[in-house]
Amino acid sequence: MYNTLIRNIFWFLILLILQIFVFDNIRFGNYIHPYVYVLFVMILPFETTRAQLILAGFLMGMSVDIFSGTPGLNAAATVFMAFMRPVIIGLTTRKSDIEDKNSPTVTEMGLQWFVVYGLLLILLHNLVLFWLEAFSIRLLGIVIIETIISVPISFVIILLIIYIFKPIKK
Amino acid sequence: MYNLFVFIKKYNAVILFVILELLCILMIVQSLPYHNRKMVNVSDGIAGGFHKMTANWSDYLHLKSENDVLSQHNALLLSRLGCDEVEADTAYYDDIYTYIPAHVVNNSIYEINNYIVIDKGKVDGIEPDMGVICDGGVVGKVLNVTNHYASVMSLLNSYSVISCRFVDNQYVANVVWDNGNYQYGLVKDIPSHLIIKVGDTLVTSGFSNSFPADIMVGTIEGKKGEENGMFNMAKLKFSTNFSTLRHVYVVKNNYKAEIDSLCITR
Repeated sequence: MYNTLIRNIFWFLILLILQIFVFDNIRFGNYIHPYVYVLFVMILPFETTRAQLILAGFLMGMSVDIFSGTPGLNAAATVFMAFMRPVIIGLTTRKSDIEDKNSPTVTEMGLQWFVVYGLLLILLHNLVLFWLEAFSIRLLGIVIIETIISVPISFVIILLIIYIFKPIKK
Repeated sequence: MYNLFVFIKKYNAVILFVILELLCILMIVQSLPYHNRKMVNVSDGIAGGFHKMTANWSDYLHLKSENDVLSQHNALLLSRLGCDEVEADTAYYDDIYTYIPAHVVNNSIYEINNYIVIDKGKVDGIEPDMGVICDGGVVGKVLNVTNHYASVMSLLNSYSVISCRFVDNQYVANVVWDNGNYQYGLVKDIPSHLIIKVGDTLVTSGFSNSFPADIMVGTIEGKKGEENGMFNMAKLKFSTNFSTLRHVYVVKNNYKAEIDSLCITR
């Protein structure tokens, strides 16, 4: 119980620091915007209720918003992603698969499953975020280009973070 | 009443989702028009101190190149002083504008509307609508001011319009940004009879009383088609490098109140 709580607080802080110190400052081009903090919502335990997921997403998104001066933008996208997480899990797994599992991580569910799960969630998050940022139909082309380019890059960076902070097996 | 509780218990997640999304969208919409964008969270308090701290650290990394730029600028100023030495004491022109140096503590170039935060505020005499320039050229206009910080709307903003003049032939046009590359802008309202050449230089017109005249804005990169038959458009390369912006000067017009009192309000 405490273990999970401490682990989640650790991820929250690490991802917040990485996002605002590193990835908000380093941008690789016009259309590439990596958002790594979404990993926090992705790896919350299976038993987390939908309301808890949404609140966690709001907290994470709002924290990033405070430091990047965009009130509500990241929070809206992350809340939407958190709301859709049970749907994505339902689509990609069978109930019997996850009965003895704790949380949707690479170590527990395997890389192959995590690629599908992660890409779908990041796609939902980025679509909402870039759409709200542009706030008009006129810029639809840019929104789609940004999303197509950013999603795989965000995902690769997230995978790297997972392997860097992976606990050492005893 | 009981049914209501059952309903809330059953759909608590959906209700929470809708409430939070509405809250977020409300916040976004409130901050959408550029003049409402207060940037309070970036300007003062924890986040302001945080940005100041990171800017302090990263300033060290750029000291060498920064020194080069400053010494170049120094040399330029010295050479100007050399030529005009004779008339220096009779020059009244300089006291129209005062320049307040400032540091950039937060800067963005890849958003659709870009803003800069500088470390000078009300206490240092900064007011909204003052122009901001750097060694390279025009940067933007002050938008909001708190006690120690100010937010600046940079040229890279869809609400930004700067009145400019062609150096060669004195014609006036407007410079806007078309949400693309941070190096290029768009010149609008060029009279269609005017022949535009690649490399033509644009400077500020001095009509806006935010900027002094003849501050460099950029050079023409090429024609970009017609605008309803009467006017032409052209692609402009900004002379300011927005991605390496560190030192800026806020332009204070000492006679602004006097000029404004002449303006006829409609």
